[in-house]
Amino acid sequence: MSAPTTRAELTDVWSGYLESLQEADEYGAIEVATGLLEDGVPAERVLLDLVAPAQAEVGERWARNEWSVAQEHAATHISEQVVAAVAAYAAPRPTRGRIVVACMDGEWHALPPRLVAEVLRLRGWQVTFLGASVPAAHLVSYLHRHDAHAVALACALPMRLPHAHRMIEACRRSDVPVVVGGRGFGVDGRWARRLGVAWAPDAPSAADLVADEPALRRVPPARLSHLADDEYASLVKRRGELIDEAVADLRERVPSARDYTSAQWDSTIGDLGYILDFLAAALYVDDSTLFTEFVDWLVAVLTSRGVPAGAVGATLDQYARALRDFPRATRFLARGRASVAAAGSAATG
Amino acid sequence: MTAADVRGHDPGDGRVWTPSAARTPAFSADVPGRPALPALAPDRGHAAPDWSEVVEHFREGLVICDADGVVRQVSPVAERLLPEVVPGALLAAAGVTGLVAGGDFTHHGRRLRARRMPLSAGRSCWYVEDVTEIVSRADALLAERARSAFLAVVGEKLGNPLHPDRAAAAVVRLAVPTLAEVAVLVLAPRSGRSRWWRASRGDDEMPTVDSGVLAAPDLPPAIAEGLLGAEPHAVDWLVEQAVEAGWLPGLTSVEACARVVPLPGREAPVGVLLVARRATRWYDEEDVDLVRAFAARAGAALTTAVLYRDQAEVADTLQASLVPVEPAEATGVQWGTAYRPAQAGLRIGGDFYGAHRLPDGGSVFFLGDVSGKGVEAAVFTGQLRQCLHALHRVEAHPARLLRLLNDALLETTQAHDRGRFATMVLGVVRPHRDGGLTLALAGGGHLPPLVLRNSGAVEQVPLSGMLVGVVPDPRVGEVTVRLEPGETCLLYSDGITEARGGRRGHEQFGPERLVNAVTDCQRMPAPALAERIEQVTCDWLGHGDHDDIAVLALRATGPGGRTPRHLHAVPDPAATGTRGPRG
Repeated sequence: MSAPTTRAELTDVWSGYLESLQEADEYGAIEVATGLLEDGVPAERVLLDLVAPAQAEVGERWARNEWSVAQEHAATHISEQVVAAVAAYAAPRPTRGRIVVACMDGEWHALPPRLVAEVLRLRGWQVTFLGASVPAAHLVSYLHRHDAHAVALACALPMRLPHAHRMIEACRRSDVPVVVGGRGFGVDGRWARRLGVAWAPDAPSAADLVADEPALRRVPPARLSHLADDEYASLVKRRGELIDEAVADLRERVPSARDYTSAQWDSTIGDLGYILDFLAAALYVDDSTLFTEFVDWLVAVLTSRGVPAGAVGATLDQYARALRDFPRATRFLARGRASVAAAGSAATG
Repeated sequence: MTAADVRGHDPGDGRVWTPSAARTPAFSADVPGRPALPALAPDRGHAAPDWSEVVEHFREGLVICDADGVVRQVSPVAERLLPEVVPGALLAAAGVTGLVAGGDFTHHGRRLRARRMPLSAGRSCWYVEDVTEIVSRADALLAERARSAFLAVVGEKLGNPLHPDRAAAAVVRLAVPTLAEVAVLVLAPRSGRSRWWRASRGDDEMPTVDSGVLAAPDLPPAIAEGLLGAEPHAVDWLVEQAVEAGWLPGLTSVEACARVVPLPGREAPVGVLLVARRATRWYDEEDVDLVRAFAARAGAALTTAVLYRDQAEVADTLQASLVPVEPAEATGVQWGTAYRPAQAGLRIGGDFYGAHRLPDGGSVFFLGDVSGKGVEAAVFTGQLRQCLHALHRVEAHPARLLRLLNDALLETTQAHDRGRFATMVLGVVRPHRDGGLTLALAGGGHLPPLVLRNSGAVEQVPLSGMLVGVVPDPRVGEVTVRLEPGETCLLYSDGITEARGGRRGHEQFGPERLVNAVTDCQRMPAPALAERIEQVTCDWLGHGDHDDIAVLALRATGPGGRTPRHLHAVPDPAATGTRGPRG
């Protein structure tokens, strides 16, 4: 089977497959995937050129508020069933060592690492997939009980980076090399380099990397000397207090906030917390773009749900006032603020 | 030879070492005519020191040359260190290479340090010191420091891997390149077979590690001997044996030297370490001491790892029997489960769920929570599940089954004199021809289930009842619920509603947030719904501690096993309410 034919076949079934996800039609989606396999399309291509991009589309539709969170969850569940069906169809025999694949603690985007797990399996590795949000203690006790050639850890959200770092260190202490992946480490893996860990941009690269043990072990050390200024630790300690102040500010600034339902307050407090968590992660890796990228994303998501960009800007101002003694945090907040202003003028202009 | 012996050979006039004002301005400038060393017993009548006498006791030897490079004076020490240098001849003619640029050099087996100082009138003086002992002491100190640093790293790196294979790989990797170019670790045989790991120095200094298995009779004799605790000394045939075993790629027996050291274990050695390198660097006594110190640490690490493995195998087997079993497939039912024990490393806890098929096509299912935490609670859930597994064969009516279970539990807890009890929801599900389900539910003091209706409504099932295993003949709540195709019934443990988190980390999640979390989720497949509840709860917890969490969801799949397709796939955005408006 030549590559162009594969691509043509995938294009043919793309819209039908997405429709199956939209309709939560598990069997329809599985039929599309197994149909491709029966036509001779390699399992790896079905996973990487059909399931993965379709799941990315699902995420975007949620971000644009076209799909509800329930629909997104349903579609993700179906994608997982499709992956399971493709894996069962290919049924590769393991000939190489064991690789443990897991999501970082608190990380629920399990499909990308699941795809990595299946690609590794197709390449002959014996793969253990530990699933979503794996506590560090669970992972370490697993590594103590089962010899692993390497651990692949996924992180989709940069705000989990400080926890990710702790988890990477825990694996290292068990003398198991670690490869990480996922958008959480930056599109070019720059935050993985900052944390001193091997990074793979996609499943095939991850498969190549785990096959090259010297490369896995040859990673430059973490560069985290900036943590000596204690801004990260202090911010984490003051998280609750900062959110309380931001809520008080919101009540004063926005009269309609008094009519919020408790669910609306939960979601607002959740967002206020996310802003701090991303700011903390940006301080951890000392990169303001981590925070700015999040602010841009948050503004886009909230705008699609009818919340003006100015609301985010006002919250950043409030945090900047509260954190004026933190030079790095102040600088990052100012850059985020500038980005909100640019988004606001783009929307109105 | 002492200074006194060479005094007679002094080629000078006996006063050459006396500094003159012209030659050493440093002395003359500020203390002209004054004794430079006044402490030298002026009471004996010596106003000025006898410099030739003083110079004899210098550690440095002195060679003075005139402007033409001809040696004029040689101090006794210099004479001894540099016998080639004789007065009256050109210094260059002596052929001492170190006396050209100065610095450290080796001469007649001694380590010398020379420096040249210009004197007046074009003359110059070489100061030559024998530093053999200082250098060797410094070298020994550096070597000792390197050994300590190496052993410290070894101790740190070997302290962590608890898996025997990992620990074994770490041992050989750490041995290269400090101890060997090739290091082979052979573990004591287990059921007649010995596993070995080898690290060899790669091109880029990173050792490459591989491993293999040998039957015990095929072990090289030196290794077998080492496994009995002996340290073989016949070094030559040791190398030959290692080469024969194929362990020393690229090295022949004449090129290599090797040592074998046993790794101390609990009783017999846990394994044997073979280190080999090119014969250009033999293993001297200090090297062997270092290998032994390394082997002691490696032995301790491996013993711990093996001990841990043996314990972990037992624990694993027991844990596996206590982890909830996924419900068996049943006609018309889509199951969804989530389980997150409080102690993540343990993987088991006091929450439990399960389902068993009934002969009539229905299933009995349950979810509950026992008193206590950790291993004890998990063991109790195991007893409970086994009880149910047996009892459901004689009684398929939920309330009567729950009472039977209550009696059985009371009997065991009374026998063990321990007040243990459980809360649970137990039900029997039966499919209908139209794809709907009937659920007959019995309540034993557990949180009432939720039902997600196709209309989007979330109902709480009015189910009460008393704790199980506390009193004989308890009051058991009974309710029958009917699910249309696509509707879901949700059982959950109090680890969800009592999860403490939020802004300050101590607010309870509560039933209201749970209802909010599942509102508008009526079209979700049951596994996705269970995972969503787990996710929302864990997000609420942040990274805080939590109780055991368990969810069991049953969804009516509809006729033909397929869940109905969505009629309105894209809901009205205004109605979704996933996020509250802000600002």
